[in-house]
Amino acid sequence: MEATMLPEVTAGGVIIKAVLILAVISAIAGFGTYIERKVLAFMQRRLGPQHVGPYGLLQIIADGIKLFTKEDIIPQHANKLVFAVAPAITAATAFIALAAVPVFPDFTIPEWIPVLGGIFVPSIASDVNVGILFVLGMMAAGLYGPLLAGMAQANKWGILGSARTAIQFLSYEVVTGLSILAPIMMVGSLSFVDFNDGYNDNGLWLIVYQPVAFVLFLIAGYAETNRTPFDLLEHEAEIISGYVTEYSGMRWGMFFIGEYANMITIGVIASVVFLGGYNDFWIIPGWLMIIGKIAFMFFLMLWVRASWPHVRPDQLMWLCWKVLMPVAVINVVITGIVMMV
Amino acid sequence: MGLEQFKDRRVGTQNYKKLDLDHAPNCGWCQFKQVVSRTFKPELFVGLWVTFREMINALFRGQMHTTQYPLEKLPISPRYRAIHDMLRLLESGHYRCIGCGLCEKICISNCIAMETRYDENQRKEVSEYTINFGRCIFCGYCAEVCPELAIVHGQRYETASEQRASFSLFEDMLTPIDKLNLQKEYDGFGAVSPNADENIKKTPLAY
Amino acid sequence: MYEMIAFYVFAVSTTILFAITAMSKNVLYAMTSLAAGMVIISGFFFLLGADFLGVVQLIVYVGAVMALYAFAMMFFDATRDIKEKHGNPALVFLLGGLMALIFVVIFSAPIIGENVKANYPIVEGIGNAQAVGMVLFTKYLVPFEVAAVMLLVAMIAGIILAGKKMDHSLTTSDDEPVEYEDELLKENK
Repeated sequence: MEATMLPEVTAGGVIIKAVLILAVISAIAGFGTYIERKVLAFMQRRLGPQHVGPYGLLQIIADGIKLFTKEDIIPQHANKLVFAVAPAITAATAFIALAAVPVFPDFTIPEWIPVLGGIFVPSIASDVNVGILFVLGMMAAGLYGPLLAGMAQANKWGILGSARTAIQFLSYEVVTGLSILAPIMMVGSLSFVDFNDGYNDNGLWLIVYQPVAFVLFLIAGYAETNRTPFDLLEHEAEIISGYVTEYSGMRWGMFFIGEYANMITIGVIASVVFLGGYNDFWIIPGWLMIIGKIAFMFFLMLWVRASWPHVRPDQLMWLCWKVLMPVAVINVVITGIVMMV
Repeated sequence: MGLEQFKDRRVGTQNYKKLDLDHAPNCGWCQFKQVVSRTFKPELFVGLWVTFREMINALFRGQMHTTQYPLEKLPISPRYRAIHDMLRLLESGHYRCIGCGLCEKICISNCIAMETRYDENQRKEVSEYTINFGRCIFCGYCAEVCPELAIVHGQRYETASEQRASFSLFEDMLTPIDKLNLQKEYDGFGAVSPNADENIKKTPLAY
Repeated sequence: MYEMIAFYVFAVSTTILFAITAMSKNVLYAMTSLAAGMVIISGFFFLLGADFLGVVQLIVYVGAVMALYAFAMMFFDATRDIKEKHGNPALVFLLGGLMALIFVVIFSAPIIGENVKANYPIVEGIGNAQAVGMVLFTKYLVPFEVAAVMLLVAMIAGIILAGKKMDHSLTTSDDEPVEYEDELLKENK
């Protein structure tokens, strides 16, 4: 995309985009809990939330009121400052990661809207030219939320939870990075915009060229967002709630929002990198396509949660280091050979 | 939903499938083969399909399992022992209780209290009858011992109330006179068994 | 102007955070502030336009190195203060201060002499990652490979050290439980 063809990205546009991302994603993250409960319920032939509003649609508001008004308990021997800061880290890193992710296509606010009319809103709040690495790095920094939360509470379950956080995130970062390396090699850029535009010409999604990388990225993404089959960080049957054992009220809610924002981030990355991004498809406009793709990725996470049992911690490590990482390396090598020849 | 499920007491005769646990791999190569076969077998996708099918069944084929409890209730077994009912005679509408006091005697938690007197026709009349539900353990002896099937266990299992007395007065437990036609004969604890006719034998007087 | 403000904000907060790391008696505070300091250092790279290095700083130091520190810290009671042992505080202070001074002099000497020039300045049109790759695989190829070999050696050594008794399971063995020397337990007795 030629830089001259685009309208100038102003500070106003970026701020509008940032507000949009914050508002939309936190609303979706809240709504995601409702969707998750509903989908899981349907898959188990239950009804799910039903009584607050039509079809239980207002359940999120009820939950929000409950979380906001709940007593904020800080346990006796906990390190109070770190205990209080940890949930904010999870939520903040999840949203900072979204800053470098293209969520909607570029658009210009129509002239007839007062004050804001004519401002060009870019697809990415900040188009760092190492977007993918930035997102991965920010999600890596997100591990401090669970880690510090577990260590700050004087609770053995918390310590176990944060130990699991450390090993799980550290291990699966390797797989995420290696799996996404092959598409990066093919596109030759680290920017999401280039990924989106890179395969505009021949119209084939990157998943056609890199199916192995896609599967690896999904598996590692599930591990990094702490989704079933890899939800060992807060697995009730073994470690009560892991790092959130002592949390209550809004602090617990912030962990939750962070987790759902991360799920959306993974969904966006998978859709932009592997599934063709926000390009128009046949007669369907791009913005609808990207929403559909992200929604499908989100649904897939819930679907998997309803279907598959989770793994043991040792199986998790075994899977990462003995299966996924070698496969990812082989995939990178083969991609390199094919590109050179 | 019928009651067949609840009445089926044949526990342990179901068809259990036993897991085949004999094929644990014992060498490195066998383990590798197992991993590869498990990786490429579509078993995981079978799992996905099963949940998806259940969702379709639930949403579009009316196989939703949820009982929306306060609005709809599951049938409970006739042998269930909930808050007592006092039944009436169908012909006259008079209560069945003859004031014999057997239930009061047998009650092991001493929660039944009754007072009787002779009415103007020199018949025994129950003047006072209460069950203290703070003490009742719902053992069912009163229903079993009652010669008239007057006191039986009903189906009212929602026993939350502002005060205990709400359930425990004779008038509360008695079938309302205008709903006499809805009164069902009790076939639960203490009632004559359904196959009682088959069990009738001639009295052995031959010896 | 904005860069100026950002620089000073980053500089002050880095200094404060690392001071907390050095001064604090609480493991958790030290670790948290070190990690936060690492994040803010990556801010400097972004300010200088070195996006790639900034992100690498994030991933490597924040994501990996600090997480490993944290993993090690889990074996202590992180909520309790640590009693530090100061043999000779004056000497420590003197040597530490001297070291810091020497470093400052060394790094600021070229700036004062105005001999600073970028060997590989940012070129318009070539991305940051490409520039780093170019330098890494031409001029600095040998150090790069040597570093890689060094990491490999360290990794193998780690595996050998840790993996000696990997096949021996404590839970499934029929042997008598081994009595481990535990200094903490001894002290308590």
